[in-house]
Amino acid sequence: MMLQKMRRSLVLLFSLLLVSFAGWCGAAEKTPQSVQVTIRSILAANKSDEFDAKLKGMEQQLKSLKYRSYRSLKDESKTVPWQGTQSFEIPGGRTLTVSPQEFQDNRIALKVRLTEHDKPIVDTTVKIANKGNFILGGPPHEGGALVLSISASAP
Amino acid sequence: MSNCEIIRESIGSWLDGELSPGESDSVRAHVAGCGDCDEVRRQLEKLQMVLKEELAGKAARIEFMPFWREVQQRINQKRPWHEELRGWCRDFFTAPRIAWSVPAVIALVLALFSLDSYLPGWRFGGARNNFAAVDSIDAYGRSVALLRENESKTTVIWLYQDQEGENDAAEDATKSGPAF
Amino acid sequence: MELSDSELVKQCQAGEMSAFEELVSRYHQKVYMVSLGLLRNRDDAMEVAQEAFFRAYRKINSFQGGSSFYTWIYRIAVNISIDTQRRQRRNPLDFRESMDGVMEAQNEVAKDPFTDVHDRELREKLTKAINDLTPEHKAVIVLRTIEGMSYKDIGQILGCSEGTVMSRLHYARKKLQDKLRVFL
Repeated sequence: MMLQKMRRSLVLLFSLLLVSFAGWCGAAEKTPQSVQVTIRSILAANKSDEFDAKLKGMEQQLKSLKYRSYRSLKDESKTVPWQGTQSFEIPGGRTLTVSPQEFQDNRIALKVRLTEHDKPIVDTTVKIANKGNFILGGPPHEGGALVLSISASAP
Repeated sequence: MSNCEIIRESIGSWLDGELSPGESDSVRAHVAGCGDCDEVRRQLEKLQMVLKEELAGKAARIEFMPFWREVQQRINQKRPWHEELRGWCRDFFTAPRIAWSVPAVIALVLALFSLDSYLPGWRFGGARNNFAAVDSIDAYGRSVALLRENESKTTVIWLYQDQEGENDAAEDATKSGPAF
Repeated sequence: MELSDSELVKQCQAGEMSAFEELVSRYHQKVYMVSLGLLRNRDDAMEVAQEAFFRAYRKINSFQGGSSFYTWIYRIAVNISIDTQRRQRRNPLDFRESMDGVMEAQNEVAKDPFTDVHDRELREKLTKAINDLTPEHKAVIVLRTIEGMSYKDIGQILGCSEGTVMSRLHYARKKLQDKLRVFL
């Protein structure tokens, strides 16, 4: 009977500990210190039916663009502080500049500029889901189109 | 609490033979020398006798065969589904199981919500909401399309090759200075 | 040679209905008496006793011998009785045959008129006092009084400690003493 009582108390204590831990984990959203930005440069073309194995996981996103082949050109990942700026070299003499602006409701606001030979092609501010991505594409490249997957993660 | 009050709480257990030899001797010695406590002993013994007569003495013996036939009938009879379910619930949801299920459910819920950290891309309840909100866009005169792919919930910004006015737009942009 | 309860249980678990019949024959009277003590009604007590053995048969394979068979069957019977009492308290019937009715049917003859009145009054007050106890307090009184069970066995049946059995018995006896003081 003593053992039964002890067991019951242990179970209760364990439940309380778990609940406290859950509370601690679910505590008010903390703003992360910096953002991990990843840029994937992809060539979309109609010359073949190749789908680069490195792009596994992006099939659904890319196939919506209706090209026949997709090839990974370059992957690059950098840590960028909030309100800071980081540039990424993109194939074809292009540069992508990314600046994380704010973190709210688990979404990251990113300011993005794509330049080609130092000429701006597009400026955009996009709010993406934390650990999510968006696609920026269209500039011509090697007989196809350049597609950039821009993702950001705030740990 | 007086000594008599302490002893009176033990008289019942003493009469039941549930005290240790030492405790039993203490109670016996006190009762022998205390009229009030002895009266309590007498009343409890009388109560026990009356109770035994009332509860056990008057009940008739029951015949075994009719009783056994009834039990057999219950065993062989098919019960309605809701009674079977109630019986199963009663047997399954025992106190220890319920007690352990509370922390188990809490742990499971915690694990599900933190699974995303270990399996990036996996999301409880289906595909994550990957839609991006485009707050502003300046394509420097180029045509731009904003697409939303429903399956993967991805936002696509597509820049079209514009033939006309392309060079003029680019020159203006370089003169306007950095956006950051 | 008479088989022990644990040997009979093993045979039951192997599918021998005759072994279960033997167990029922050994304990049906005791289980009925305890149920009657708790419910104070013959029909209810019979129903509970039969149901207890039925449930024991269904769960026989889960009986691992941690307690004795008789403790186990008593536990089932007491639990069903307590559930029945709680249900009856929530939905009291207009008429229930009480132990008084049982004794009248058995034609109890008093020694003299004075004793007859005195005894009848005591029985009425005693029945009411017992029924006023909570099911848990009634259970300890019945198991101790009818079966003379040890506190340890009572605790195993009711799923509580010996200390709890002791304090419940003390409380129940005190309540009964207070209500029946004049007769004791």
